[in-house]
Parts: sequence; structure tokens; C-alpha cells
Amino acid sequence: MYISLNWIKEFVNLDGIEVDELVKRFGLATAEVEGVEYKGQNISNVVVAEIKSVENHPKSQKLHILQVDDGLENLTQVVCGAPNVRVGMKTAFARVGAQVKDIQIKATPLVGIDSFGMCCGEDEIGIGSDHSGIIELDSNLINGTDIKEVFPIDDVIIEVDNKSLTNRPDLWGHYGIAREFATIFKRDLKQVDRVDLTAYNNLPKLNVAVETPDCYRYSALSVDNVTVKKSPQVMKIRLNYCGMRDINLLADMTNYLMLELGQPMHAFDHNIVKGIRVVTTKQPTPMLTLEGEEHIVDVNATLICDENYTPVAIAGVKGGLKSGISDQTNSLLLESATFSPMAIRKTSRKIGLITDASLRYEKSLDPEMTTLAIERLVYLLKNIDSGIKVSSSLTDCYNYEYPTNTIKLSADFINRRGGVNIAVEDMVDILGRLGFKVRGKNSDLEITVPSWRATKDVTIKEDLVEEILRMYGYDNIRPATMNMPLNPVEQLPIHNFEYKTKRLLVEKYGLNELHSYIWNYKDFNQDMGIKQDSVVELLDSSNSGQSGLRSRLLPTMLKFFYENKNNFDDVSIFEIGRTAEGLNENKLVVEKRKLSIVLASMTKTEKELYFTLKKIVEDLSELALTKVNYNVGANVSNCLHPVNSCAINGFGEMGVIHPSIAKNLDKRFNIVGLELDLEELLNAEKTITTRNKISKYQASDLDFNFVMSKDRMYGDLEKALSEFRCAYLLEIKLKDVYINQEVLPDKISYTMAIKLTPKDRTLEASDIEKFSKRLIDHMARYDIALR
Amino acid sequence: MKQEIEKVSLEFDSEIMAVSSQAQLEELRVKYLGKSGKITAIMPMMKTVPNEQKREMGMLINELKSKIETAVASMQDEFKQRAILDEINNAERIDITLPVETGVGSLHPRTIVQKEIEDVFVSMGFVVEEGYEIETEYNNFDAVNVPANHPARDMQDTFWLNNGQVLKTHTSAAQNRILKKYKNNMPIRAIFPGRCFRNEELDAGHENTFFQLEGIIVDENVSVANLIYFMKEMLSRIFKKEVDVRLRPGFFPFTEPSFEMDVRCPYCDGKGCNVCKQGGWIELCPCGMIHPNVLKEAGIDSDKFSGCAFGLGLDRMVMMKMGFNDIRDLNSGNLKIFKQFKVER
Repeated sequence: MYISLNWIKEFVNLDGIEVDELVKRFGLATAEVEGVEYKGQNISNVVVAEIKSVENHPKSQKLHILQVDDGLENLTQVVCGAPNVRVGMKTAFARVGAQVKDIQIKATPLVGIDSFGMCCGEDEIGIGSDHSGIIELDSNLINGTDIKEVFPIDDVIIEVDNKSLTNRPDLWGHYGIAREFATIFKRDLKQVDRVDLTAYNNLPKLNVAVETPDCYRYSALSVDNVTVKKSPQVMKIRLNYCGMRDINLLADMTNYLMLELGQPMHAFDHNIVKGIRVVTTKQPTPMLTLEGEEHIVDVNATLICDENYTPVAIAGVKGGLKSGISDQTNSLLLESATFSPMAIRKTSRKIGLITDASLRYEKSLDPEMTTLAIERLVYLLKNIDSGIKVSSSLTDCYNYEYPTNTIKLSADFINRRGGVNIAVEDMVDILGRLGFKVRGKNSDLEITVPSWRATKDVTIKEDLVEEILRMYGYDNIRPATMNMPLNPVEQLPIHNFEYKTKRLLVEKYGLNELHSYIWNYKDFNQDMGIKQDSVVELLDSSNSGQSGLRSRLLPTMLKFFYENKNNFDDVSIFEIGRTAEGLNENKLVVEKRKLSIVLASMTKTEKELYFTLKKIVEDLSELALTKVNYNVGANVSNCLHPVNSCAINGFGEMGVIHPSIAKNLDKRFNIVGLELDLEELLNAEKTITTRNKISKYQASDLDFNFVMSKDRMYGDLEKALSEFRCAYLLEIKLKDVYINQEVLPDKISYTMAIKLTPKDRTLEASDIEKFSKRLIDHMARYDIALR
Repeated sequence: MKQEIEKVSLEFDSEIMAVSSQAQLEELRVKYLGKSGKITAIMPMMKTVPNEQKREMGMLINELKSKIETAVASMQDEFKQRAILDEINNAERIDITLPVETGVGSLHPRTIVQKEIEDVFVSMGFVVEEGYEIETEYNNFDAVNVPANHPARDMQDTFWLNNGQVLKTHTSAAQNRILKKYKNNMPIRAIFPGRCFRNEELDAGHENTFFQLEGIIVDENVSVANLIYFMKEMLSRIFKKEVDVRLRPGFFPFTEPSFEMDVRCPYCDGKGCNVCKQGGWIELCPCGMIHPNVLKEAGIDSDKFSGCAFGLGLDRMVMMKMGFNDIRDLNSGNLKIFKQFKVER
């Protein structure tokens, strides 16, 4: 929103304060300032001049040759293209050397005739929207007077960030902003001048009926005998500086009031609209708005209709074309109303029409403002067009009043929450300037919130803490340390485990951590032959590009491999991320914390890569103080090779990437992948817990050659050995694998080195013999023989 | 006998001069000191020596023996040293300036910066908490005082899911759960970093998937002055220099009063640079005093207890500290970018 400092100064005297200081303090106390523009700095040497003669240009139909009196000794010749030039007219004249916005005026021939300056239209000097010709000035002005002495062209426009006003309905007009300045700098705030309309109470009321709860208040007044059509230049300047165009006097008046008080108003042609019905739409209704655009207003929106229920405006959003004021309008019906903020917001979003009015209504405007706005408008209009006649009494349907909010608090509460020591008088002063009524003292303050802050903004004690502190100055608060007991804190094991896992993968295995999106890339998966269903979908996927959430993480890592493969011979990547694995009985997503790794290489074999994965899993298991099982042949996801893959306990899987997917990804690479639930790994039974005592007795080293069918896996042998119970400490290592089709057809021999340590005595030969016999018998039960 | 001893001694002196290899030395050692060596051969002569001279002869023989032993040992040393010298001189020269493949991979820069910040908080007695990425409407909105139909639910452009849940729009979605978890163990000091989502269009400055790091402190009489003190301390540690902060009014449903916290640009000390876009201040940290409704919703007496909360845009910190210009790079998975990072900053 644009704020004119000239306008503000109409309500509060800010003399002696630099603009920089104004802007800085406002930014710290009220709202964010996005920019400051010094208007008029690029206008210079533009003066009042009178047209003394008008001649046709010999070579142009449109151009005229003028002799103008700009207050200097001699007349000046100017070539001008404006259609409204005439002898005796006074206009704004830019002399040679003048600056008119981006244009530097030079003496230059125009179609062969020398021209020494430029006659200006109001849009050219930025003080109005009229583009039809040059500006016509008051004939009483003295030639040569600087235009800046005629009009307040110099101004400072402050752009306030709209977002930071979201919660402040009172700041959507200059008067509210002026109140902030007045409080910040402890200056007096002037009342707005207005007409007391009670004088017209004897006139008949307008025919107004509100038939919907979404209209909180509807105030109306009719005014006849309006003759002036054009707005005064000062008003035009302010509208244009604040980002609006001027149109005609009545339209400009309503806009001006909106910018001044924050209250949107609408002027109907009273000859067309005789009465008002405010209704809720029961069926979709077409509406031709002021701009000539047709909108279909959906059901349950608020419409303004005339007394015959013909729609004349979309309430709080936009007026209708037919009922609006035109240049012929001499009688008007003024609307000044308040609506349900939610209703306006819904309607405005639904038809895609966000207007200056709807933006304000959404913020919960103060209904108390409606009559004040009418009184102010009549006051201003009368000053411009003294012949106007108020033709009705003020008609007011006040259906919903916000409750008066009174807050009790103690000064001590403010000081404790702020960590400050502000005197009660200072608090009362600040609140008073902001419009709060304060009763009581010290520990028993009773504060009544002014209507313009009571629609949603200020409701509780903490809101008053904010009011007082921001005006006291946040930068005046002295930082103070806290006074807290020294309680020890216990960190989350999983959080630490996640970080340890990352460090291990990066430092020991040289992996690279990546971060991805949580989407399920359906097209990519389909192209590669990866099956992945989503358990939940986004309702709006226009910005994500993907509609579903991933249920697994490995496909995302494969996609990252795919996107990086052309730049590297080796890709070793991982992520710890969340997946939406399923829905629980309450239809809530079961969210998992997964680790996924992809190793891909042009030089390493699948076997090497697969074993690297196993090493990683073994290391992570050790970090988690557990030991995992590899279930070869278990059901795994379709990303993995059906044979060369395995499940890891019940919470993970790894393997060579399925050949058909691997070929789609890139034939040149060997690729393996892993996906594992990190939380389940950490929470798995801690099997590595107690440490064995070191035995002081001599250990014996024994080798056994076990023979198994080659269809079986080493894991069978390991499992069989792990189930052997004996009184000794055993350290078992695989020493050698022997395969020889001639010597041992269809069999594999494993040499196991077993270190046998007695706990309580020295081993004797007979002990070893007994041990060996028991072990061999035990292994035989698993179809494992001694060679 | 004495003559014989002197003779052997002289013979040894001349023979050792001629020795030129380890083998010859060993031969010489055996010839004199061996079982049938020259020293042994002299011994039988003792029988012929008169008793009064036996003592003298014994000493002479021992002297000779020890002289030979010392000479042999010292020459052995010499040969060993010469052998090592030969080994050194003949060794292949290894060109250590050849390149090697390094073993350390890379952590994501977010992980690095997040850990750095976590360490600061942990040192100040905070617990590092966590949240879900897929949240209930209640936790994401209602529990943190964003009531139904509040424009904030649109304003934040939420990703809604077809089961009624949301992708969490802010780390505050975890507040209610954390407040409840620790409310019987005051004071509460917790931070909770996490991935958040907003339904917005991507560009260099906007992501729909990004990280925040939020913190809360709850105790009796926590004040705005405490918040400022704490933020200043914390940011000074994060930026590793004394920083200045300032508060401006903000509006968030979960805090009252709410502030925007700016930090005087630590890269140019407020003089104006690219990082602070010449403004001298960086808007870094929305914060405020926890709204009493949020405390009440977690079952905490909001008259007795008060708290402050702050959010740090983790991605923004990463971009500032690691020199990223485009936020989209962080989720790109582009190894050309990420391989440059290691495990610390």
C-alpha cells in the first residue's frame, strides 16, 4: 500500500522529523516499509504559461504552432500536438532545460518548425490520469509561477508491505497510519472534519433492507444536485500517487475515502437504483461489473440488489456497470457497508476478482467506520460542489456489532512479559494515543479496545504487551539472561544414530549424501519398469509436478543415479528420508525413516558392490549393537534381482538391481541398491551387549573342514555353528573355501578355524577330542559333514 | 707362552685388515674364537707355565680374546650399516606426488550446517527433537492457534493429501507434541529441525520442499528481554562473531507478540553487501512469545508459564554459509555440486 506523507501530515504534524527517521521508526514499530519514493524530484522548471496565439502547422494536421507567455520578457514558440489548445488558455509549460520525469526538454524542430519547450498534460507530470490534452489551469494564476507552487507535486510516498498489515484492518487507510505516526512521535492526532448528518434526520429514510447475516452493517445516504464532474487536482494527485487512476468526481470521492479511512464505498446512480436489498445468492448469478466484464457469482455469495432484486453489485468486491455513476449522474446513492470477512474472501477468490475493496473487507473492517465515512464524504463533496443537496436521512442497518472487548491486566504483567520496567503513566499514554480507554491503575488496569482494533486484532493481554512494547521501542529493551535450573537433557537416540550413520557412510565408504523430494515419480518409474504405488495423493499437484507420495526410497536414489550417470564412472549415493509406507487403522499415513543407498560402477563387479553393501550393513548393525540376518530368497521389491538379493531382518532389503531395470537405467553400469528402516535397525534387539571376560587359560586352535552341497549357502554353516552350545569361548573364522569338481563333486568345502578358550582350567587332549566329536555330531544334524 | 699370545695377536691384527666381507669376517671369527680356533689352541700351554705366571698368562689370554671379540663386533656393525645404506641407495624411488583416490565422501550441506547449529543449542542445554513430515491438520494448524477458515491456511499454500492430512507447512507442527512431552519437566528447551513443504512455484528463491529449524523455551516468566538475549547469543555463536539483532513487529498466529528478527549483516558488518542486498540487515528469524492458546492446548498453565519460540530458515543459513545462489540446488541431487562438500564446513 502506498502512503502519501502530505496526506498523513493533514492529520498529524510531523514537522522537524527527517523522512529517514519517520520511515525507520515506523518500520520498527508498525509495519515493514518496502520502499520510499520522492515524488516531484524529477519535475523541474515547469511553469504557468498563457497561450497567446495558435497557428496551424504547415506540414501537419495535428500540430499547432503556439506563442506562449511563460512570464519572461519575450513570448516563446512551441509546437504542440494537443487538440485542446486555444488562445487565452493557461497551461503547464516546461521550459527548455526543464525535467519532466524521464524527459529533458531541449530546443528542437518538430516537423520542420523550431519548438522551445513543451506544454504538458497532467499525466505527463504525473498528477492525473487525463491523457486527452494539455492541462488547463486557473486563469487567475500568474504566468511564470512554478507549477510546484500551484500544486503539491512534491511528496514522499512510502510503500508499506501489505503482508505486514494482514492483521491490522485499521491500517488500510491514511488516517490509521497517521495514528501510528502520532503515537510513535507523541504528536497529536487531528480529528477528521465531517458533516453532522443528524441535521437531516427529518428527511425520509432510503428503502434499504439487509436480508443476509453476511452483511454486518449497511449505511446509505442519497445526495442530489451534483453538478461538478471533475475532481480537484489535489485529489487527483493523491489518488495517482497512491496507485489509483482518477475517473470522475464521484468515483474519485469514494476511492479517496477508501484511501483515507480504509472504508470502501460505492456510489450508485440514484436515478437507477432507488432502494437496496442485500441478499445471499441462491443460484449462480451473472453480473456485469463496472469494467464491463461478466462474472458468474456462485451460490452463497452476497449481492447488492435494487428494490426489485435486480443485482447491482457484488458485495464488497465490485459494482455493476448499469447502476454505476456516469458523467450524466447528478443524484447518487452512497453505500458504506461492512460484510463478513470470510464471505467476501470466498466470493472474491471464487470469481478470481481481488479488488482494493475486497482486500480491505477480508481484513475484518470496523463497522463503526461506515457512517463516519459518509459524513466525511459529504463534507468533502460540499467543499467542492457547494450546491449539493442531501436528499435522505442517514439510513443505517446495523445487524452485527462486534462485542466490546475489555481486558484486565496489571502493569506488572506487561513488565514481566517484556522483561522491562515501563512506568504505568507511559503505558497509559501509549494506549491512549492508540485509542484504548484505560481505567484503574497499576495492578488493576481495565482497558477497552477501540472498535477499529476490536474486530479480531486485539483480544487478549498479550496483544496489549505488543502494543506497549512496540511503541516503547523494541530497541529499548535491554537483553537479559534467563534464570533456569541446570537440568540435564537426554538427547534422542535415533537423532544421534541418524547422524552417526551418515558420518560412517561418508567417512568409511566415501558415499555422497543427497536430499530429494518426497514425491513418487510415476513417469520415471514407469519408464524404468519400477513398480511403486502411492498410499496418499496430493489434492493439488500443480506445483509439485507429481501427484503421489513415495512409499519407498530406493526408486528416488535410482532416479538420482540416472541423473548423474553421464558425469561419473562411479556413483555412490545415499539419503535418509521419509516415506509414506501405508495407512494405519485411522487412515493416517505410516511414516518411515528410511536409509537408501545406490552404488553404481563401470569398473567394479556386481559382486564387489553387493559385498560393499553387506559391509555397510554389518557396520551399521554394530553401531546399533545388533546382528542382522540376511534372508536370501525372501520376497523383495521389484527393483531388485530375484536371486541376488536378500531381506535384512524384517526391515530392509538389498541386492543387485533387477537386470531389466538396470538395463533401462544404463547398461554400462553395475548397480546395487539398499533400503532399510533406520529406526527399526536401532530398535532391534541389542545382541551385542555383554563383553566376555578375558580368560587366563591357554587357547587351542583347531581347523575343521566342513563339506556341504554346493546348492546351499555359507549362511547355513554359520547358522549351524552359531547354534552349537559348549562350555568354552569360541572364536570362529572362515579360513578357506575349497571347490574341486573332481575331488568333491557338487560339494563345497569350508575350512573353519576355531579358537577354543576354556574359562576355568587348562585344556587336556581328551577335552579337545570330546569337543570335536560333539561338534561333528552337531553339524551332521544340519547335513554338514567333516571332510 | 707369552710369545705365542703376542704372535696370535699380531697375526689377528694383520688378518682383520684383509677382511672385506661379512663371510670373511665370520671365517676369521671361527678361526680365532671357534671351538678349535687359535685361542683354544693356546690353552693347553697353560700346563707348562709355572704356577706363579699362570695368573698373568690367564689375563693376557682374556685380554686377547676380548680384543678379538670387540674388533669382530665392531666390524660386524660396520657391515650391517653398509648393507642398510646399500638397501637405501638401491631402493625404488616412490613418486608420492602422483594423485590418489580419496576415501571421504560428502555430507549434504544441510546436514553440515544443521549439525553445527545443533551443537550450539546442545551446548546450551537444549534437546534436539523431531517431527513428522506428514502431519494431521490438528497438529499443523489447530494446535498452534491457526483456527479453521483462518487465511493462514491458504496463505501458507499447504499441500493437502487425499486422506485429510497435510505435508507439514512449518516445524511448528511438532510444537504441541513436544510441549506435552516435556511439560512435567520444566523448563522446556528444545529445537526441532525438519523438512517442510509449501505449495508454491519454484524459482531461485522459492522451494516447495525446504528445511526449517525451530526452537522453544518455556518456563516461568520468560520475557521478550530473554528472547533477545538468547537470540543474540545463539546467532553470535552460529556466525562465530558478536552480532547485533533487532526486532520488528510481525504477525504469526502461534506467537503473541510476534516479531521479525533481523541480524546486522555479519558479512559486511552492516555496511551493505550482496548477502544483505545492501540493506545492512538480514531478515533471519521469525520469533515471538508463544501464544497462550498454544500453551493451553498442550495443557500448560499460560498464566504461570510463558515461553518464546523462534524459527530459523535452515536453507537460508545453508545458502549464506555455503554460497548457494539458487535454493533449488539443494534438492537437485546434482553430484557435481555436492561432491565438493565433505563432513565439516
